[in-house]
Amino acid sequence: MAFDYPETFRPDIAEAHRAYWNKLKSPGNWWRPAQRIAIAAASREAIDCDLCRQRRAALSPESVQGEHHNQQDLSATAVDVVHRIVTDQTRISAAYIEANESDGLSKPAYVELVGVVVAVLSIDEFHRAMGLSLEGLPAPGPGEPDGYLPGQAVSGTGFVPMIPADGASGKEVDLWPADRTANVLRALSLVPDAVRSWLALSDAQYLSMQGMGDFDQPEGRCLNRMQIELIAGRVSAMNECFY
Amino acid sequence: MLRVSAQTTQTEIDLAGVTGSATAADQGIEHGALLLGFAEAVAQRDSGAIERTREALRMAAGEAVVVDAAGVAANFQRMVRIADSAGIPVDDMHNEFGKAVRAELGLEYFRSAQNSLPSA
Repeated sequence: MAFDYPETFRPDIAEAHRAYWNKLKSPGNWWRPAQRIAIAAASREAIDCDLCRQRRAALSPESVQGEHHNQQDLSATAVDVVHRIVTDQTRISAAYIEANESDGLSKPAYVELVGVVVAVLSIDEFHRAMGLSLEGLPAPGPGEPDGYLPGQAVSGTGFVPMIPADGASGKEVDLWPADRTANVLRALSLVPDAVRSWLALSDAQYLSMQGMGDFDQPEGRCLNRMQIELIAGRVSAMNECFY
Repeated sequence: MLRVSAQTTQTEIDLAGVTGSATAADQGIEHGALLLGFAEAVAQRDSGAIERTREALRMAAGEAVVVDAAGVAANFQRMVRIADSAGIPVDDMHNEFGKAVRAELGLEYFRSAQNSLPSA
């Protein structure tokens, strides 16, 4: 069984990781199962990519040309985006995303790709943190992307269209748990399943949206809230995250 | 969130822990310095440091704490990338509490601040 962690691990973590692996091998809205798994594999290759290392050290990433460490059947644009998200995310810009759209990577496809990369990365980071081998990627399942777009998504907040705070209705009525939202919840909402996926992971790795209201001792956690937020704050600061 | 949780529990903390001060991290937060070291190692993907800090935390606080800490660190490796990949601004830049925390930590110098501060 995938994610066969020691008994000392909270079982909800394995369950959440296993559930994401099942989603990963299924068709998305914009990518086929094999492409989603290729995106996941590319996110792992980015960790040891020489070009990414050189670009990260450069004043501008565009000033360093070359080829990414890549063995996946993805477009060069998609590979570059995957590697940027993993290794140099603070320099992703609206202009970069617009240029990629001109090269054939639509904004919905970009958002789904981001969702896959960050979900797989967080599971891999948990494994690295615990000294575990990375889980083998699943074999692709059947099915094709359906091209679903939430009609209520609008531009104007960040680099990509998002569902507005009062727009979680119809098929997206479940999208803001606890009836609260924030820009970080809305960020990937152009592909609503990407939001659902990271929320499910966050429930196990961090806190549920409901649990976020407990600022003392969250239920089911050994860490108190201050300890949790110290880790969260330090990791965010190390990544130079202003948000 | 750290400041809010400290206020809720009426605990005196030093926010400088978030900027990497182990002494500050230990103020009012049990195992603060060990948690800080582990978080930094995970964020840097430094396998040697991860192993050292993980074992130190395990010895001091136990396996269950290490698992929780690894989960939180992994989660925020994801969350920062969601925020930056979508270019989202801070929800309420005019909130006085948030302004004070950002000023105290010097967050305006981060590159991604430009998504919230167009003139930065």
